[in-house]
Amino acid sequence: MRLEKCWFCSSTVYPGHGIQFVRNDAKIFHFCRSKCHKNFKMKRNPRKVKWTKAYRRLHGKDMTQDSTFEFERKRNRPERYDRNLAENTLKAIKKIDKIRSDRASDHIKNRLKTGKVQRQKEARKQLELGIHLVKAPLALAQDSSLCLPKIKVNVSQAQTEENQPMED
Amino acid sequence: MVQYNFKKITVVPNGKDFIDIILSRTQRQTPTVVHKGYAISRLRQFYMRKVKYTQQNFHEKLSTIIDEFPRLDDIHPFYGDLLHVLYNKDHYKLALGQINTARNLISKIAKDYVKLLKYGDSLYRCKSLKVAALGRMCTVIKRIGPSLAYLEQIRQHMARLPSIDPNTRTMLICGYPNVGKSSFMNKITRADVDVQPYAFTTKSLFVGHTDYKYLRYQVIDTPGILDRPFEDRNIIEMCSITALAHLRAAVLFFLDISGSCGYSIAQQAALFHSIKSLFMNKPLIIVCNKTDLQPLDGISEEDRKLVMEMKTEAMKTVIGQGGEPTNEEGVLLTMSTLTEDGVIAVKNAACERLLNQRVELKMKSKKINDCLNRFHVALPKARDQKERPACIPQAVLEAKAKQAAEKEKRKTEKELEDENGGAGVYSASLRKNYILANDEWKEDTMPEILDGHNVYDFIDPDILLRLEELEREEGLRQAEEEGDDFEMDGQELSLEEQEALAEIRKKKSLLIQQHRMKKSTAESRPVVPRKFDTDRKFTTRRMGRQLSSLGLDPSLAISRARSKSRGRKRERSVDKREGDGRDAMDIDDNQASKKLRLRSTSRSRSLSRPPGEVIPGEGLKDSAQKIKAIKLAKKSVLKRNKNARRGEADRVIPTLKPKHLFSGKRSIGKTQRR
Repeated sequence: MRLEKCWFCSSTVYPGHGIQFVRNDAKIFHFCRSKCHKNFKMKRNPRKVKWTKAYRRLHGKDMTQDSTFEFERKRNRPERYDRNLAENTLKAIKKIDKIRSDRASDHIKNRLKTGKVQRQKEARKQLELGIHLVKAPLALAQDSSLCLPKIKVNVSQAQTEENQPMED
Repeated sequence: MVQYNFKKITVVPNGKDFIDIILSRTQRQTPTVVHKGYAISRLRQFYMRKVKYTQQNFHEKLSTIIDEFPRLDDIHPFYGDLLHVLYNKDHYKLALGQINTARNLISKIAKDYVKLLKYGDSLYRCKSLKVAALGRMCTVIKRIGPSLAYLEQIRQHMARLPSIDPNTRTMLICGYPNVGKSSFMNKITRADVDVQPYAFTTKSLFVGHTDYKYLRYQVIDTPGILDRPFEDRNIIEMCSITALAHLRAAVLFFLDISGSCGYSIAQQAALFHSIKSLFMNKPLIIVCNKTDLQPLDGISEEDRKLVMEMKTEAMKTVIGQGGEPTNEEGVLLTMSTLTEDGVIAVKNAACERLLNQRVELKMKSKKINDCLNRFHVALPKARDQKERPACIPQAVLEAKAKQAAEKEKRKTEKELEDENGGAGVYSASLRKNYILANDEWKEDTMPEILDGHNVYDFIDPDILLRLEELEREEGLRQAEEEGDDFEMDGQELSLEEQEALAEIRKKKSLLIQQHRMKKSTAESRPVVPRKFDTDRKFTTRRMGRQLSSLGLDPSLAISRARSKSRGRKRERSVDKREGDGRDAMDIDDNQASKKLRLRSTSRSRSLSRPPGEVIPGEGLKDSAQKIKAIKLAKKSVLKRNKNARRGEADRVIPTLKPKHLFSGKRSIGKTQRR
C-alpha cells in the first residue's frame, strides 16, 4: 500500500481515493479527485493552473530546493527489517516534517516582506495626498498635527448636534 | 474380392413408400398436361414416356439394392459365416433373388405396354393403358414388400456390426460364460463392455484395440461358449465359434480357477478339449483368471491334472509353430482382473506370441524382401573394445541423490495444516522462515504510512546521522532569521496617522460608491436633473456639519448663504412695485396690504414665479434661453397630444386591421392597392 502523488495538483492520494489512468505507452497517472482528472482530460498544463503545486513551485511561490526533500526518496530495493531502524525512522519522520514546514512558511514570509515595504510607502503617500478630504488645508496650517477635527455644528436655529455621522 | 462397406448401404424403402416415391417422381418429372385435341403421335409419346420413366426408376432403385448388399460368397469367409449365423444365408439369398425377379418383371411389363401404346388410337385408350402398366408394376412391388422389410432390417443390423479387420493382428478371447473375458477386455483396451454377474451378458462380438511394441492389436471379446454338441448351439455361441474358426488370431482361453462362474474346472476342461480343433495353427494361451479368489497352487489334484493336460495341448501349438524350445511361461498364465495382477503380463505374452508367429510366416513367404526392413534394426559395428556409456555430470547425480533423501525427511505445510484442523481452521504463519537479525522481530508489524508519507521512502541505515546534521543546520538558520527580523520595524505609521489614513480611505470609498451609483443610471437619466435638489439635501445645516468636520468654522459661510437665498414671500413683489428704498417695515404698507386682503373676497392664487425666470442651479443661462427651452419642450409634445398618445413610447394601435381599410369596393376608382 502506497500513498501516491496526484499528477495534476501534487496532493497525496490515499488508498481508496481517486483514479489511476494508464496510457498506451504504459505511463501511469494518479489523480486525487475528479477535478484533477477532468482538468487532465481537458489537456490543461498543471504548470499554468494557478492552484496546483507545480505552478507554485515553478513561479517561486513555494520552496523548491531543500535538504529536507532528500530524506524522502522512492526506494526500489527493500531493506531487511530491523526494529531499531524502523523506530528511528518513525521518529525522524516527525522531526523532518516539522523542519520542512517551518522552512516553507519562512520562505513564504520572506516572499511577502517586500510587498509590505511597498505598501507602507504607498500608505504614506496616500495620507499626504488625501489629507484634504478629512482636514481642510487651512486647519492644517493652523495645527499641523494630524489629529482629526471633531464635528461642531453652529447653527443659530437648530440645537447643537453632537455625534452626528459625517454623511446624511 | 470385392470390398463391401456395410455401413454405406442405402436405405431400403418400405413397399408402399417405394411405390409412392416412384409414382410421385413420375408425376413431377414428366409433363403433365395433355389435351384431347393433340395429335395422336403426341398423345402416344406422352403416355409412353410416363411408362418408360416409371420402369427406369424402378430398375435403378432395385439394382442399387441388389448391388449394395454383399454377396455372401464373395466376402471374407469370416463375414460370410457371421452373416449366415446371424441372418440365415438362404433367407438372405431368397430375398435378394425376389428383388431381382421383381426387377425383371417390371421391365417386361413396361416393354409389353409400350408396344401396346404404339397402337393406341385415342387419348382415353392410351391413358388406360398407361394406368394398367403402372398398376401392374406397383402390384409387383407390393408383392415383394416383406422381402424389402427383411432386407431393411438386415441392413440396419449390419451397419452396427463391429468393424473387424480379418487380416490384421487379432487376439481372441474365449471361454465359458462369466469367467472374466469382458473384464479383461475392459482392462487392456478402451472398450467399455458390459460386465454383469449373469451369464451371457455379452451377446455379440466386441472389438477393442490395444498397443504393444508400437503396433496396434485388435482384441475381440466373444460371448461365452457352453459345452454342447455343435448342432445345438444358438446364434450367440455360433458368433464366437465363427470368429474362432475364421480369424487368424492368438487365442486366449480363459479358465476360472475359483469356479465362481458356476462351472467347475472339469467342465471347462471338457469344453477346451471339444473345441481344441479350432485352435489349429493359432498361438494359444491358457489364462487362469480370478486368482484373487483361488490361487493356482491351491486347487485340488484332479483339477491340477486337467490344467496340465490343457497346458500340454497348448504346448503342442507352440512346438507346431516352428520349433521354439519349450517356453513354458508363455503358455499358462495366471491373473486377476479385479486386482489387476498379471493382466499386463498376459497381454504382453499374447502379443509376443502372435507377433512371432506372424513374423515367421512372413519370413517363409515369398514377399520377404518387401518387408524385411520391418524386422531388422541395423546397429553400427563396434569400432574398438572401448566402452562408451552415457555421460552424466557428477553434480547432477549428487543432486538427484540429495533430492530423494530430502523428500522423505521434510514435513510439508500441508501435513501441518491437516494436523491443526484443516484448511478453514489453521492459517499458515508465512513469516516463520524469515531471516532476521533478531528472531523476536518476526511477528512485528511495521506501519507503512505515517502523516501522509510512505515510511519505506524514509528508511535509511544512517538516518540518525543525517537527522542530527539537519537539526544543527536548522538551529543556525533560525538564529539568522531572528537577526533579519529586527531590521524591518522602522517605517511604520503612528497611531494618529493610521487613523487619518483610515478616514481618508473611508471617504474615498464612499465617493466612489456614490459615483458608481450615479454612473449606473446615467444612460437612462438625462445628464441635467429635472429639478435641482429634489431630495432637499443641500441645506445650510449640512454644509455647516461638513465644514466643521474638516476643521473650518462654518458660521460665516452659513450666514452668507442665508442672505443670498430668496424666500417666497409677498414682500418681494411689494418691493418690486415701489422700489424707492422704502422701509419694508412701514406700517402703512402693512395696512395697505391688510386692506387689500380684507376687500378682495376672491382668493387669488399664491404668486408663482414668472415663466421666464431663471432659478439658480437649474443650468440655464438667462431668461431668453429658458423661454426658448420651454417653447421647444411644448413643441415636441404637441403632435403626440394631438394623436392622443400618452407619451413618447406609446405606440399602441387600437385596431390592427380596421375593416374599412381592408375591405369594400370603391364607388369610384380602383382598389389595386390598399
